[in-house]
Amino acid sequence: MTPRAAEQEHLRRKPKRSAERRMAAMNRILLIEDDTETAEVIVAELADRGFEVQWTANGVDGLGRARASSHDAMIVDRMLPGMDGLTVIEALRKDQVRTPVLVLSALGAVDDRVRGLRMGGDDYLTKPFALVELVARIEALLRRPSDSRQTVLQVGPLQLDLIERTARRGERELDLLPREFRLLEYMMRRSDQLLTRAMLLEEVWNYKFVPATTNLIDVHMGRLRHKVDGPGEVPLIHNVRGSGFVLRSRR
Amino acid sequence: MHQIQLIRSSTFLWALAVAAAFALFVVALFAFIYWKLDAYLVARSDRMITTQIRFIADLPPSRRLNAIADHLAQDSRGVQYAGLFDAAGNRLAGNIDHLPRQLEPDGAVQGVQLDLLQKPTSHVPVVRAVGRRLDGGDVLLMGRNVDETREIASVVGEALALGLLPAFSLCLLAGAWLSFRAQRRVEEVNQRVQRIVAGELRERLPESGADDPFARLARIVNGMLDEMEMMINALAGLGNDIAHDLRTPLTRVRLALERGRTHAATLEQLQDVTDKAIAGIDQSLAIVTALLRLTEIENNRRMAGFGDVALDEILREVCDLYEPIAEDKRIRLGAVTERHVQVWGDRDLLFEAVANLVDNAIKFTPSGGRVELRLDAEDDTALVRVSDTGPGISEQEREAVLRRFYRSDKMRNTPGVGLGLSLVAAIVKLHGFRLVIGPAPGGRIEILASIGRASRPVTRRSRTLLHADAGGVG
Repeated sequence: MTPRAAEQEHLRRKPKRSAERRMAAMNRILLIEDDTETAEVIVAELADRGFEVQWTANGVDGLGRARASSHDAMIVDRMLPGMDGLTVIEALRKDQVRTPVLVLSALGAVDDRVRGLRMGGDDYLTKPFALVELVARIEALLRRPSDSRQTVLQVGPLQLDLIERTARRGERELDLLPREFRLLEYMMRRSDQLLTRAMLLEEVWNYKFVPATTNLIDVHMGRLRHKVDGPGEVPLIHNVRGSGFVLRSRR
Repeated sequence: MHQIQLIRSSTFLWALAVAAAFALFVVALFAFIYWKLDAYLVARSDRMITTQIRFIADLPPSRRLNAIADHLAQDSRGVQYAGLFDAAGNRLAGNIDHLPRQLEPDGAVQGVQLDLLQKPTSHVPVVRAVGRRLDGGDVLLMGRNVDETREIASVVGEALALGLLPAFSLCLLAGAWLSFRAQRRVEEVNQRVQRIVAGELRERLPESGADDPFARLARIVNGMLDEMEMMINALAGLGNDIAHDLRTPLTRVRLALERGRTHAATLEQLQDVTDKAIAGIDQSLAIVTALLRLTEIENNRRMAGFGDVALDEILREVCDLYEPIAEDKRIRLGAVTERHVQVWGDRDLLFEAVANLVDNAIKFTPSGGRVELRLDAEDDTALVRVSDTGPGISEQEREAVLRRFYRSDKMRNTPGVGLGLSLVAAIVKLHGFRLVIGPAPGGRIEILASIGRASRPVTRRSRTLLHADAGGVG
């Protein structure tokens, strides 16, 4: 299934969690990772979430499989026996294979991320990582955000006018600071999707770094939630414990 | 063993070589002197003999016999020889028994063996002699003992030998002493080095006051040891810090897991325990990751992520990111960026550096205080300043906080990994910028960046900017 088809599917389907899972069951993921234990845990976790995972431990084999059959996403370890992860991605991109790739790296080599993304990786995650982070990023790769040409975003009762720079919930006008507007826009484009703190920092502020103050994003989210979810209203922004946040379009 | 070492030591061998050369020289000198002296003495006696034989030959024959007798009688030392022989070779006068065959009359003075009337007791003397054929067919022979020359030569030789022997011995002794001394110093150095290797980092090489190469070498090595001791201590401290910081969360994890395993009655309780354990492990991992990152940035010379970075933008964005948390702490956070300044660097890392400074400033500033970000530019230098109304960094700590892995006591008890400033320093160094810590009270940290693509380190010019600025505050 091509990403475009997946998107159409996504637009058609009923936004229910169970439906979401059934949909996800059709997603095929190729994992190229040489550490057996790490791979087993990743495979198990993704399988639990309804993905079909193919696993191979070396780069040459991985490249062969990626060429042989189409996958919806790939997870590629940076350091692989036989063929380096980045080389695999580079080779695939030369062959016009556009499968989104999440690069895993053992060390947050400062240059590795830049090189990984330059070589055609779509996202980059450094080990050690949390499983929720991996899953959240894979889901983000699979579900491309809704059309960026839209000028008005609508999620449940929330409406965001990108031209007028106004936000409203139902009839209520929301008075948002520019950064809160940006945050809400990103969340609305990726509604019903788990967004981790690192993802928010990367996407909304466009910086990749780990702040010393761990609750930095939580404070921002607290402010936004305070404005979005008024007293007596059904909360839309949900905190997923230990992982991140979700903007739910429905209960 | 020790003696063999002594003899084989290069100092000793050199001394031996010098002594041998000296001896050789002396022997050559002696030979030369002997040769010169011998030639001189022989030439002199040859002249005397020639004079004498001419004198006697010129006398009338009647007076010759008397003259010869007189001549020999005057010679108290018995070194003169004379003989008058008739044509048949019979002796007419003198102390020579018969004409030696080798002697050619009317020839030059030559060395011959003479058979004397009175046989000498000890040895046959070496004699220079000359003969002359007289008018009547007689042959006059005159000679002179040149043993004297040999004696003088042997006396000179003995004197030289007597001098040579002690000189040679002295040379050897000096060589042995120098060698021994060097060996002793090497041995001492070796012992101290062994102690250092064994872990006694305070040990130093002996530094004598003298300005010899050994002492200079010792001073150089000691300087190096000072540096290394400092670094090793810092690393050891780091090791302790890491161990301590890792142990605290890991202990909590262990306890939680242990208790959870036996006491958790429901799935929720077990999940709660697991969450705690994961949080503890995450904290440990964060420490390890921060350290690895730090090392990575410090050792990394590749600059794949470098590009034009707008500092004013970064400052505003850091401010934007930290505003809510500062507000929560009732701290006023503001950025003053009047100019657009572009530097050559890694956007993410520079953001991280400034964010870390702001993070620290907010952490240490008491409620109701103020944290200010400021960007100034002068010529080719940009100045990013993060100042706050907190306690600041004391004079004693100022150097230390920039040193790798240093953690102040204040920092140790606050949450966070505590490598923030080290990381900032590493990032700043990677860019060839400078980090300056201002005087307490009031936190004040500055990054001096070179504007544009130039990768030259920030130096003189930036200092003027800094001083002019510091003067205004101080």
